[in-house]
Amino acid sequence: MIKKIIGLCLAICLALPLGGCWSRKELNELTIVLAAGVDRAPGGNILLTVQIARPKSFSGGTKKSSGFQENNIWVISQTGETVMDAARYLETKVSRKLYWSHAVILVFGEQLAAQGLRQAINFFSRSPEFRETTWVFVARGKASDVINSHSQLESTSAQSVGNMARSGAGFPVKLKDLSMMLASYGTNPVLPRIELTPSGNPQGPGMQENIPEADGDNQKATQTHAEVTVTGTGVFKDDKLAGWLNLMETRGLLWLRNKMEQGEITINSLKDPGKHISVRVTGAKTKVEPFYDGNNVWFDVKIKMEGDLLEQQSSEKLTESKNYREIEQRVAKEIEQKTRNALDKAQHTYGVDIFSFGQAFHRKYKKDWPAMRNRWNEIFSEAGVSIQVEAKISKTGLTTNRLSIKK
Amino acid sequence: MVFFKRTRRPARTRTKNQQEQNSTAQQKAPEQQNSINRLLSSSIEVNLKTLRNIFKNCSDVVTREFIFAQKEQIKLALIYTDGMVDKNLVGEQIMKTLALEVPMATEGSEITRANAFNFIKTRGLCTQQVKESSSLDEILNAVLYGDTVLLVDGHATALINSSKGWPTRAIEDSKTEIVVRGPRESFVETLRVNTAMIRRRIITPDLKVESMVLGEVTGTHIAVLYIKGIVNEKLVQEVKKRLSRIKIDGILESGYIEELIRDEPFSVFPTINHTDRPDRVAANLLEGRVAVIVDGTPVALTMPFFFIESIQSPDDYYENYFFTAAVRLLRLASLVIALTLPSLYVAIVSFHQEMLPTPLLLSIAAQREAVPFPVFAEALFMEIAFEIIRESGIRLPRPVGQAVSIVAALIIGQAAVEAGLVAGATIIVVALTAMASFTTYYSGSITFRLLRFPLMFLAASLGLFGLISGVILIVVHMASIRSFGVPYLDPVAPVVTEDLKDSLVRAPWWAMRKRPHLIAQNNTMREAAGMEPEPPRPQS
Repeated sequence: MIKKIIGLCLAICLALPLGGCWSRKELNELTIVLAAGVDRAPGGNILLTVQIARPKSFSGGTKKSSGFQENNIWVISQTGETVMDAARYLETKVSRKLYWSHAVILVFGEQLAAQGLRQAINFFSRSPEFRETTWVFVARGKASDVINSHSQLESTSAQSVGNMARSGAGFPVKLKDLSMMLASYGTNPVLPRIELTPSGNPQGPGMQENIPEADGDNQKATQTHAEVTVTGTGVFKDDKLAGWLNLMETRGLLWLRNKMEQGEITINSLKDPGKHISVRVTGAKTKVEPFYDGNNVWFDVKIKMEGDLLEQQSSEKLTESKNYREIEQRVAKEIEQKTRNALDKAQHTYGVDIFSFGQAFHRKYKKDWPAMRNRWNEIFSEAGVSIQVEAKISKTGLTTNRLSIKK
Repeated sequence: MVFFKRTRRPARTRTKNQQEQNSTAQQKAPEQQNSINRLLSSSIEVNLKTLRNIFKNCSDVVTREFIFAQKEQIKLALIYTDGMVDKNLVGEQIMKTLALEVPMATEGSEITRANAFNFIKTRGLCTQQVKESSSLDEILNAVLYGDTVLLVDGHATALINSSKGWPTRAIEDSKTEIVVRGPRESFVETLRVNTAMIRRRIITPDLKVESMVLGEVTGTHIAVLYIKGIVNEKLVQEVKKRLSRIKIDGILESGYIEELIRDEPFSVFPTINHTDRPDRVAANLLEGRVAVIVDGTPVALTMPFFFIESIQSPDDYYENYFFTAAVRLLRLASLVIALTLPSLYVAIVSFHQEMLPTPLLLSIAAQREAVPFPVFAEALFMEIAFEIIRESGIRLPRPVGQAVSIVAALIIGQAAVEAGLVAGATIIVVALTAMASFTTYYSGSITFRLLRFPLMFLAASLGLFGLISGVILIVVHMASIRSFGVPYLDPVAPVVTEDLKDSLVRAPWWAMRKRPHLIAQNNTMREAAGMEPEPPRPQS
């Protein structure tokens, strides 16, 4: 028995070093990449910009140096023929190994997006280090400008944008969603658009950015503090950027994609012209049903919405059910209007199905789909869409009628 | 097999309170020792000479000769070991009575050389226990274990008076198993006091206390306790069989016996429980276990032992049972922390950084920025440092205790972090591990204390894969061993559904109707049905 045990111990002692701490990577030997941006560089090359955390300045706990705010991040760019090529060249400048697993956001520049995402996305979806849950954005202008920015609230702008995406600003898309949208015939990708906008006055030095005017190379630099802002949605035709949706149209996109989880709808008041009523969306459900009679394709969209009335500038009495119904109808109308706007833009301006209507069609008409999928965008552009909205306001906040109404 | 040189006393196992076994032992004695005459002679001079010869150079053995006088001068001799007898008892009840009171008070009856022995035995001694013996070995054992032997001239039989009375430590609070609610007292070094503490809790003639003498030089008295009718007789037989196999020169602590009779001698896990709490022993006896108490140590053994007992404390059974369930879960979590937390930390920080949330990773990265060692070296260094502090905390003389703890707290807590030698996160991990290992039963926790280090090596060389393989190995080992025929992980593996009520949770007492099935196999019913308290029913 003792011999057996000693033998086992020896075997383990000999076997363990064989692995040689295989694939061990000390934390101090890693460069934690928080954000990656890909732009088009001259000569058909790719410009990779990474935002790297500087652990020294993250010293958690007590000894936070007052006074000059140290820069938490280091932004560095490198051109290369492919993303990986650029990343390899980066390692000649960066003393530690690039570690992608904690990349929070991935940003594509406008120019590169217009030429096609596929040339840049493969590395990120193929590399085992890169997470599929990374938030993907398309930048208005250059991705490198967005990456090279600061956040007043979070320690890095990457985390700030990531938190915004997590809380549902715009139409957040993960790398996994993007890959699936790219792989599907039944839909076209959309990516939230981010850009730098002036955002208050910085309290300390070292927090100023160049806000590029998206005007090619004739950029006017504005020296002020700017935060990365979600300003709409980029619409893609296959992998090429086709155009933008503004924030209002993005809401229509959310409704039609059944992604509306929280939001707000403002309508005109019943009584007082120029005054408004705002409703907070607490629950929403969208059902899309396609129909096909051999020639024509049309869709029935049924939206059910539930919300709380939380702001009323006007003074109509909510205790009267007539008013209540009227407000609900106006909300429904407003939702229909918004979705209609987004739909019009997609159908007629850009001619791409970004609402996954094709997938719904595929589910219902499996046999007809293969013949139609290659020209689906044209079919979609001509399809009729009827939108029915059913809005219900369940609560009116802490009061029913306005408190300030004199009896 | 000669493993020590013994000269006088024969090796034998004696069961004191069973007369039959006693006589068989006596029959065996002459066979083993045929060279010397092992029976007393009728001449006191010869006997004294033999005894003096045996007790040569034993300055603590006292031989007191005196005359028991009425008309005939009868020579008596008392032999006892100084320091082991109650001096008052020997002086007042034996010497004074025999030398003065009896000869004076019995003027009516004639004491002759012939009837002296019977006279003394029936009328002359004021001690509680008197035994006759003519066996020299029995006399020797009696003298050495605090009894007083009286030799009467002209008789080949001696009278053994019970006069044990050596200084003992007072009964104190338990030092190793602290409870908030429940009895405070713990065992002491004297066997009889310890058995009395059990007897006081279990007042029934079914509580059997079988004595044995083990250790051929030390002649240590041990007691095997069980409750007849509850215990599985086979278990008692097995324990006694294993005990009787012991041939060793000395037994100074119950740990000797534990290692000599335990299952799985090569396992790091304890398969016999030890405790210094009488209430724990009593509870174990009531569940059908066997206890072994060894003279000279306040630590009793109970067997069989389940691993789940490591997370059970006596006051679990006295406190509210919801609270008990919560605390036991906490202890289980602590056990897991004590075993795996440092290796998990090493594995994640040096292999699987992607498993941490980004802000946490950045925070750890910031702390580790100045640390010049790999995380494994750092964690190992801190673990060893803590073990050093713990060990020195046990050994250090009381007066310097404070100085050492201050130095240790400063070095580990502050200086190491401020000097940038160790990351704050590592300190937190090591401190949590250390505290977690104290929540569980001590002998269970030292096992995990030990196993923590191989796991850290595995985690440092193979990452989580190594850690998980190590944990699987440990669990497989635990599932494969047994304690006195009972699977070690009972009642979890194999699942004994009925016994789960006293495992991670404890059922209220009115619901714990049965004893653990695999221990008390024949008599598992513990209590009557329908004892759940309920409001009085309206009388119809």
